[in-house]
Amino acid sequence: MFLAWKEMRHSKIRFLMIGIIYVLIAWLVFILSGLGNGLSTLAAATFKNMDADYVVFEKGSKASMGKSLLSWDLSEELANMPNVQAVSPMGISISSALRENGGSDEEKVDIAIIGIEPGSFLEPDVVEGEGLSAERLTYAIVNDTMKDHGYRVGDTFQLDGSTEKLTIAGFVTNETYNHIASVFVPIEEWRKIAFAAPGSDKGVNNPVNAIMLQGKDIDPKAINEQLPGTDTVTRSAAVMGISGYKEESGTILMMLGFLFVIAAFIIGVFFYVFTMQKSNQFGIMKAIGAKNGFLAKAVISQVFLLSLVSIIIGVLLTYGTAAVMPKGMPFNLEVNLVIAYSIILLVISLISSLVSVRTVLKIDPLKALGRVE
Amino acid sequence: MSRGLRMISVSKFYNEGAERITALDRVSVSVEPGEFVAVVGPSGSGKSTFLSVAGALLKPSEGEVHVNGKLISSLPDKQLSEIRLREVGFILQASNLVPYLNVLDQLLLVKKMSGSVRAEDRAFAIKLLEELGLGGKLNSYPEQLSGGEKQRTAIARALVNDPSVILADEPTASLDTKRAHEVVSLISHEVKSRGKAAIMVTHDERLLSYCDKVYRMEDGKLSLAQE
Repeated sequence: MFLAWKEMRHSKIRFLMIGIIYVLIAWLVFILSGLGNGLSTLAAATFKNMDADYVVFEKGSKASMGKSLLSWDLSEELANMPNVQAVSPMGISISSALRENGGSDEEKVDIAIIGIEPGSFLEPDVVEGEGLSAERLTYAIVNDTMKDHGYRVGDTFQLDGSTEKLTIAGFVTNETYNHIASVFVPIEEWRKIAFAAPGSDKGVNNPVNAIMLQGKDIDPKAINEQLPGTDTVTRSAAVMGISGYKEESGTILMMLGFLFVIAAFIIGVFFYVFTMQKSNQFGIMKAIGAKNGFLAKAVISQVFLLSLVSIIIGVLLTYGTAAVMPKGMPFNLEVNLVIAYSIILLVISLISSLVSVRTVLKIDPLKALGRVE
Repeated sequence: MSRGLRMISVSKFYNEGAERITALDRVSVSVEPGEFVAVVGPSGSGKSTFLSVAGALLKPSEGEVHVNGKLISSLPDKQLSEIRLREVGFILQASNLVPYLNVLDQLLLVKKMSGSVRAEDRAFAIKLLEELGLGGKLNSYPEQLSGGEKQRTAIARALVNDPSVILADEPTASLDTKRAHEVVSLISHEVKSRGKAAIMVTHDERLLSYCDKVYRMEDGKLSLAQE
């Protein structure tokens, strides 16, 4: 630490410049992860918030709600499977909300209509108004982003391309599906909306898109064998099945991955070149008795100090940026994620500094003798 | 056993292609504490190899090297750096200071290498620098020092761990005559007053009057030139 710190203080410009590059990389990593996280929350919040452990889909639907159609008649059999604590139906269809007496220039709002059983474990808590009720089929609870479009509790809106009307009973927060606001309705009402065209339910009795299961120790294989034509997956697999989700998060992850690799190379190459330039000094220090460990520690602690300070500045800048970002921007930075990425950046830098350490170890102290500068 | 430096029939061979080069040819020498000897000779005569072997930087191919009564010629590399740190003080050619450390830190660095810096180490380093006329330069960096001041810092650095052997490699290489005399007389003074066994490799014949003995190195063979 002695050498590392003294040198950084003496060569401020040199370390400042590499520090700035590092800060920019860290900043970009955190912004990207915030955006990625925000996007994936928008895509799957409703799914991620659900208190379900497993999801039963139709066989061959590849865990996609849109491709799956099941009969709720299966529920009794499912409930009797070992370790299943609760079952609840779910259906999703995409539509848009239209103000009841709106003209043609009235703004349409894209919504995801999610049919659930009122009072079941799938129903989110309202932050305003009242929850769902089996007696009031056309009353919905909607995501609070609808407020931005002027909707209030008690407002009624029409569904585009349908004769059905829904009234807002209450608001929930942070409930989106495929980037659009979730609107929760009782499952019977959802059936009316989703299968309005005759025959679109393919003759399935009490159709639903999927059946959600609660129970930590459920064995999906046993269910698949017991109920042919079904495919049981974990909730996270169901999230991956949301159309576009995998591709979207894959893109962001790839960008993050590249950033980590770039950070590793920048730090690694910088310190490598730097170490090469200083090989004489290291030779002298070895000649006067410095052990390899002493010099290796100096290099590593320098990388550590530089990385740590840069990452901290990067985090501060990221929160600063988040504070001035426009409201509609899907930015969601979780503290856990910030800590995890900080540690990854730090570890990657330290690993890349090992290249320099190796160079230091190989420097011959004989270099110090018999040379005039 | 002698407390200074003792080399008994030391040889060093290098393989250069198919040829075997003899850099040191059965060199025997003994330097007692308080004794200051010079080794002169043309370049390529093996002076640097001699100094490297004496300073535990290089292991001899044959023969024995004793420093402060310890046989060091058969020690593994790891312990050699410990010997260099505790028993040997190197005074290297000018500008071989660490550029980003001030004069005091150059000395404290050596203390850091051997563990931690205690208050008395710090006091000793400051006293040493004051004795060498660097009391006003404690916070100066090498780039702010003259050639003579740099070498005096190097002398202080060689002495700070209280080694038994001092090895100087062309300590006057980049100095004018006046400064060269200053630096060598200073080394001579410190060696005598502190009882160190000291060897100076030089090609500067003007400075030999400060030394007790002068050895001549030629083709790897060491011979006494003048008592």
